[in-house]
This record gives sequence, C-alpha cells and structure tokens, in this order.
Amino acid sequence: MSSLGELSTFAAASVRMATPLALAGLGEAYSERSGILNIGLESIILSGAFCGFMAANATMSLALGVLAGVAGGLLMSLLHAYLSVSCRADQTIAGLALNFLAAGLTSYAFLLRFGKSTDLPRCPVAPPIAIPVLSDIPLLGPALFDQNAFAYASFATVALSVLVFRRSEWGLSLCAVGESPQAADSVGLSVERTRYAAAAVNGALGGLAGAAITLGSLGFFMENVSSGKGYIALVAVILGRRQPLGVFAAALLLGAADALQFRAQAMGLGIPSQAFIMFPYVATVLVLLFSIGKGSEPAALGKSFDRSRR
Amino acid sequence: MRALGLALSYAASGLVLLAAAAGAIAAAGCDPAAAAAGFARGAFGSVYGLSEVVVRATPLALAGLGVALGFRAGFFNIGSEGQIYLGAAGATATALLFPGLPPWALAPLCLLAGAAAGGAWAAVPGLLKARFGLSEAINTIMFNYIAINLVGILVRTLLKDPANPLPMSPRLPEASFLPVIVPGTRLHAGFLLALASAAFVAVLIGWTKAGFRMRAVGLAPRAAAACGISVAGNVLLASTLSGALAGLAGASEIAGVHHRLLEGISPGFGYLAIIVALLGRNRPAGVVASALGIAALQVGSTAMQRSAGVPTSIAWIIMGLLVALILARPTLFRSLIGAEGGKR
Repeated sequence: MSSLGELSTFAAASVRMATPLALAGLGEAYSERSGILNIGLESIILSGAFCGFMAANATMSLALGVLAGVAGGLLMSLLHAYLSVSCRADQTIAGLALNFLAAGLTSYAFLLRFGKSTDLPRCPVAPPIAIPVLSDIPLLGPALFDQNAFAYASFATVALSVLVFRRSEWGLSLCAVGESPQAADSVGLSVERTRYAAAAVNGALGGLAGAAITLGSLGFFMENVSSGKGYIALVAVILGRRQPLGVFAAALLLGAADALQFRAQAMGLGIPSQAFIMFPYVATVLVLLFSIGKGSEPAALGKSFDRSRR
Repeated sequence: MRALGLALSYAASGLVLLAAAAGAIAAAGCDPAAAAAGFARGAFGSVYGLSEVVVRATPLALAGLGVALGFRAGFFNIGSEGQIYLGAAGATATALLFPGLPPWALAPLCLLAGAAAGGAWAAVPGLLKARFGLSEAINTIMFNYIAINLVGILVRTLLKDPANPLPMSPRLPEASFLPVIVPGTRLHAGFLLALASAAFVAVLIGWTKAGFRMRAVGLAPRAAAACGISVAGNVLLASTLSGALAGLAGASEIAGVHHRLLEGISPGFGYLAIIVALLGRNRPAGVVASALGIAALQVGSTAMQRSAGVPTSIAWIIMGLLVALILARPTLFRSLIGAEGGKR
C-alpha cells in the first residue's frame, strides 16, 4: 500500500474513533457551560449504547435504535440533573452513582434478555455514505466525506453548537447561568430550567454517542461496552475548553491517539500499548496545568444553586 | 416529630431499595425469598463466607478511610483507584528488590513502600490543588488512568516474570506475606491493619491539633486562613495521607491476597471506597462498618448467582441506587422531614 493510502486509512479511522467522543464531549460542553460537571457521562453513553442496541436488535431498524439510544442517554442525564439541580447534591458523587447504576442495569438487563450464549446477538450497523465528488478528494475525502451518519451528525452538531453558543440568546443565558447563577436569577432567568435544558442536550448527544458505538461501529453489545469513553470525552471537553470547534479538534486528537495505538500494536513496535493509551490523560493534566489562571472554567462549575441563599 | 419523620425517610429509602432488588430478582425469573436465603448463606452462613466478607472489606476500609480523611479537609479524592495500583506496585517492587530480608522486616517494609507510593501519587493532584487551585475531581481521575496503565507497562517490562508469558510479576518471596489470622481461610492481618488505621484516623482527626487544622480547612478555608492555618499545607497533608491509606490498601492486597502484581489488581475498590466513605459519613468507625456492608453485598451477590442464578451485576445496581437515594432522600421525602438545613 502506498504511504498516502495508509495515511488516508489512518485519518478515516481517527475520525471514526473520534465520533462518539465528539458527540458526547459537545453534549458535556453544554452541561458544563451551564455549571453542571457531569462525571456520569460514562453512564449516559453506556445507557445510549444499550438502549440503542436493544431497540435495533428487536426491530432491525437503525432509526428506532438511534431514537432509543437518545432516550436512554436522556434518562441518565435527567436523573443526574434531578440529583444535582433539584436535590442540590454533590455533582461528582451523583455522577459516580449513575456510573455504577448504568453499569449494573445494562449488564443485568442484557443477561436477562439474552443469557450467557456464545453467539453474540447482533444489530444492524450504519453503513458509510460516500458523498459524491467530495469523497474523491485525496486524504480528506475518505476521512470526512465517506463516513456513517453518526460522523456527519457530529459535524453538524459542531456547526450548530457554534451558532448556539455565539449567536443565540439561549447560548448566552447558558453561560450566564454557569458564570453567575445569582446574577442570572436576579434578571429573571430560571437557573433550574436552563440547567435542566443543558442536561437534556447532554443526554441526547451522549445517548447518540452511545448509539454511535453499538449501531455505528460494533453491531453488538457487551458488558461495559463504553469502556471509559465517557471519561475520555471529559478530557476532550477540557482540552477543547468547552468550545465546539475546540472539543471537536480534541476529540479528533484523542481518536487519532486511539487509532495510532491499534496501529502500533499491529506493527509490533515492542512498546507496550499502555504507553499510547496513557498519553491523552497525561496531556489533560498538562493542559490543566498550563491553563492555570486563564479562567477558562465557568465560575459556578460544580456548584449547586439555592435561590433562598446568597 | 422531626426525628420520626427522619426515621421514616430512611425507612422509605430502604424500602425503595429492597423493592428494586426484589423486582430485579423477580425479573430474572428467580424467587426473591430463595435468592435472599442464598445471599445470606453465602455472606454470613459459614466461617469461610464471613472470612471472605472481611477479606473484601479490608481494601475497601483502608481506601475508604483515605477518602474520608481527604473529605474532612476538603480534598475530594476520586483517585484512590490509581493510588491502590501504585501502592501495589510499590509493595511488589520492594519485595522483589529485598528477597533476602526476614519476614518481620520485609512485610512491614512492603506495606510502608505501598503507603509511600500511594501517598506520593496523591500528593501531585494535592499539590496542584493546594498551590494552583486546580480541581482535584478531574485530575485524580486522570491519575487513575495513568496509574493503571503504568502498572500495565510495569508487569510487561521491569516487573515481568520472565518464566510466564502472561503480563504479571513473579510470585513474591514468602517473607513478604501478611500472616493468615484464621487458619483455613484467606483472612490475613491486613484487616487488623485496617482497624488500626481506623483508630489512627479517628485520633488524628478528632484529638490532635493537626486534625483540627485539617477539619478547619475543610469546613471554612477562608476562616482557617484568617486564623493563620495554612490552607495549602493542610490540603497537601490531607491528600498525601489519603493516598497513603489507599496505597496501603494496594500493598495489603499484594502481601495478603495475590502475592504477585497483576493487571486489574483492584476491581474498582477505589471507586467503591467513595461509596464506603459516603455511607460511613466520613467517620472512621462508620467507614469500617460500611466497608463490611459493601463487601457483604458483593460476596452475597456472588453466592446468589451460584445458588439462584441472579447475575452479580445486581450488586452494582443496588450500590448505584443506594447512593442516588442517599443524595435524593432530603428532597424526595421533604414533606416528611421538613428542610434539613445547612448540615451535611
């Protein structure tokens, strides 16, 4: 194979790996901008992957699978919003609780439905859709214009999110609620409603990310299929500073690291693959370290808001 | 009247949990009563079952004490998992480096090395928080992944057993083993260590100046600073001690149970430790009790799978639901208890 061909395969693989990270990361960016740090992103993705798979397996319809995946993500995210917004519970503990709950529920329900059979139950997989002309561009074509619907959805979400954050009133109120809930409340914005709405966006996109795993690439479900992607998506959100383009670029970088790790394993370089897997986490700590004092975090991130208190 | 409402709200939470567990068991097509009997027999019905509960509880109690100690000083340590891994690696490396030492020296040295490794690993996010104000929530999670992968590299390179194709260390010299305290079981001296650590944390937090300072920093950092207490210094101290306890948990797993370093040495003990600390209300005695409870839940559900065919993942459902109910209880049952102001 020519080196250009190899590079283009690698680029396409990176975008494929990045798709769930980008979708979930963009959703989390909405949530974090409104002041909710949702460590339970993993549970949203897992629930989306599971519900999407179950529906698609039962009906053999991709569309119904995607809908169910979004619903599954919404369920977990709204539960987190209930705990952290309505109950004013610690957001991190609430997220961890949901991660336990989703891991348990999905694995339990999957075993109940299918038992411990050796042949994996399957579901349809979204095929790649080549966009005429554009997909023939060398390198960029296969990477950007010969992907499945989930990847295109992530591109569209990036564009839409740029508009929402920069141009829409709702995007502005989202930031207001995340920066200073007291001030937002005093001008008549409902902090609760805005945070619930942000959580809903997070759940829908995270659920879609989960569906992108089972319906977009694997075609089956197994216990803990999200395998830490929720935490890696959190990394993408920090690396990308909660900006849509930034989150997407970070997701691409993380996807490329993932693709590289598979390549390195296949080539047998003698370096343990853990060295590659570790890389994004080290990068995150370094980025956090170098962004000290730049104030990129919403001021009220992680803090619950109580109207009756000052 | 208020006390009654409070009791009722706890009882209602308990009922919700029981109903959910029974519902899940019934959904699996099993008889809840038979499953419950299997659960109880497995966890409490024999000396061996009981000993397994205590073996499980040991790392949970140690790491849970660490999380609780950090909590009291305002350091939310989600990084126990990574600190357990590094503690295990530290203990393993020590045992392999000094195989000739007598048991009275090598076993304590391994535990010490584990505590030091765990403490050092936690001190980094502690320092980042203390010095630069970086949130520990994300950093400690990142450090978990880094530590787990570091151990993955170690068992393939420096600490690998050359005689074994699998990624694991050689079996450690027997001088590093913690003694078994009930013959015929796996129950080892690590549990006594956990009890001693609980007493240590209780005295430190409740009875010493250093503990008072850490609590002050946890409750009101600005007030503490105004009284001349160093916030940064105490956050660093608390994070290091917190990590040292988790490292001790990892070392005790190596010296007491596995006797070699493996990948997946901790099946999420570090995350469970957060639940343990939460259930134990960050009090040392409470932490030990809740560690035993969570361990019983896990051992019992394994037995329930054998006897009644209920998938073990039910333990995860119950734990997740339990924490969610603890968080939601004051709001869910507001009408029963009125507003539980201020206190947490």
